Amino acid sequence: MSAPTATPPAGPVGEVTHEAKARGRVLPSPVTGQEVVLIVVISALWLALSLATPAFFTSGSIIPLLVSMSPIALIGVGMTIVIITGGIDVSVGSVVMVSSVVTAQALVDNGLSLPLAVLLSVVVGGVLGLVNGVLIAYGRVQAIIITFGTLNLFKFLGLQFFGSSTVEGIPATLAFFGRGEAGRTLGVPHSFLIMLVIAAAAWWYLRHTAGGRHFYAIGGDAVAARLAGVQVRRRVLLAYVLTGLLSGLAACFVIAQGTSSLAASVGAGTELAVIAAVVIGGTSITGGRGSVLGTVLGALLVQTVSTGVTQLGWQSQLSDLFVGIFIVIAVGADIVRQRTRRTS
Amino acid sequence: MSTIAPAPVTEKAAPGGPSLGARLLKIALTQRIALLVLLLVAVVLTMTTLSQNNYLSAPYSPSYMASTLINLVPLVLLGLAQLLVITSGRGGIDLSVGAIVSLTGMVFGFAYGEWGWSLFPALLLAVAFGALCGALNGVLVAYVGFPALITTLATYYAFRSLALVINDQQPISTQPIQDLYSTAATVQLPFLPESFPRVPLGIFTFLIPTVIVVWLVLARTTWGRRLYAVGTNDVAAEWTGIDVRRTRFTAYVAAGAISGLVAVVTVAQFASARPDAGVSGTGMALPAITIAVLGGVAITGGIGRVAGVVLAALLIVWLNAGILLAVPGNTGSQLQLLALGAVLVFAALLNGITNRRYGGTQ
Repeated sequence: MSAPTATPPAGPVGEVTHEAKARGRVLPSPVTGQEVVLIVVISALWLALSLATPAFFTSGSIIPLLVSMSPIALIGVGMTIVIITGGIDVSVGSVVMVSSVVTAQALVDNGLSLPLAVLLSVVVGGVLGLVNGVLIAYGRVQAIIITFGTLNLFKFLGLQFFGSSTVEGIPATLAFFGRGEAGRTLGVPHSFLIMLVIAAAAWWYLRHTAGGRHFYAIGGDAVAARLAGVQVRRRVLLAYVLTGLLSGLAACFVIAQGTSSLAASVGAGTELAVIAAVVIGGTSITGGRGSVLGTVLGALLVQTVSTGVTQLGWQSQLSDLFVGIFIVIAVGADIVRQRTRRTS
Repeated sequence: MSTIAPAPVTEKAAPGGPSLGARLLKIALTQRIALLVLLLVAVVLTMTTLSQNNYLSAPYSPSYMASTLINLVPLVLLGLAQLLVITSGRGGIDLSVGAIVSLTGMVFGFAYGEWGWSLFPALLLAVAFGALCGALNGVLVAYVGFPALITTLATYYAFRSLALVINDQQPISTQPIQDLYSTAATVQLPFLPESFPRVPLGIFTFLIPTVIVVWLVLARTTWGRRLYAVGTNDVAAEWTGIDVRRTRFTAYVAAGAISGLVAVVTVAQFASARPDAGVSGTGMALPAITIAVLGGVAITGGIGRVAGVVLAALLIVWLNAGILLAVPGNTGSQLQLLALGAVLVFAALLNGITNRRYGGTQ
């Protein structure tokens, strides 16, 4: 690391460091305070759990943990973008439900191949996201109200597809994303890898492209962003469509992780788990601030808590209590940091 | 919130300017009460016509309409709870009401069903415990400055979890609790002819007193006026000497107390204190928020009327009752979801249009 001081300031190398310096002034550091705290908390939890129950730190326990957190973190990537723009999408649970029932039924009836099944699921999710996006961006109404409404509408749609029964005998086409041996390469679950790749892409996009920064601008001040030339409506629309597409992909994970049958309760409560992960990750619910890295860590924390509670032999419902407490701690820490930043 | 609606300043047109139709349209769009009454009449007329032509599986008669009013009680009460917190402004909302209902129901179940308290102290305990839950929300939102959505999401998780854990997920349905079902019965009103439909008792014991109290508090007390002031512009309210934090805090406490009351209603209706009473299915918070928004409560705070909430709840209850008769079975209950969602999206879009054309609802 002592080499850069020896190189002369001129030339391409010098220019790169100069640019990096300029970037450093504008962008927050790649890992913010909240994420450091989360990493510490998760490490401490993992350490404590592996001391308390020797079974925790084995592949038989860690791999299911990574598989279970993947759909939440994946939808969380989209939700992070939506919340950064100052909106919210509480309909994702219903989107997962519709996408998964349509895909599962197509798998049973038509025996779709893996790529076609994924495509179908993602497209269905995208269309539902488009409905949300059009209503919010062009209908000019509060996101929370509209998505509460579409939550019901999509749920109705999903129940119609279910036709008052479960979908039975789903073939193992989607096992590529599943918990089993077919769902892993070198011991790492595919669903987790795919989630990581998408999260990394979203992290780079939000941080280092003009389009990504526009989301922050909209969340900070939509009017100022519009005056600065940001296509506010198109960006907002994109955020909801992205969330829909990712919910569709997450629906494939959900089908693959379940048994060969799918019940109408699929996806219920997903929206709250996703919002919890995003908020614990340090994304500000009022918009303008947040990162995908935090969301992935938040999802990991939530899943660690519920795995830990089960493995300690406590009542599994107790994990929700800890999730609630972690939300309060995370938001509290964020508020404290905001205050110290303002006063210093 | 970042969505800033451009408020067009539409001056009143010159006398005799707009036609009668335009004026009626404006009344329907800007007076939410008028619109709700219109929709309510439309629903009742449609259903009665369908009923008379034998399209329904059972007659949509006054006695049927009166018996479905039992569903009105929790809906109106929780709608009023949302009215209070949403009106308090700064993104006020309470996602935790359903979880408070579950948890308080269990506490009430313990007191009345297990510890042998008599009804009135147990009822007071339920209201006080609900208020305590609401106070936790209130402290975090008003004094610490947490966003309401996140706070109540967190407490939703916490209360829901506690309600399930507190009695090993078992409902409490001892004899006193089962006897409570009699309070959910229908009664014949005194001084009225025998043909008058029987009305659920809960309407008189819980609904009407709460509606009157909330209306009096909002419309006739300083606290009510302060709440609207805080919700409209909390900085201005602060500068006029209003204790903004305290006012907002009490709104959440009141919402919790009302949820505690709903817990008792729910226990009586199910004849059992169920640990998942308020959170099973879609939960209770979502319909309550829907009712509030449909009733003309502005999600940005400062605007909202008790009459709007009551009418909106009545509309949904009678619409759902009609749907159940028109489409019996599973599809009927699914269509209720469609109706709830469609009505909510419709109401929100209508609010948007009204804001742009006339500068807001009243």
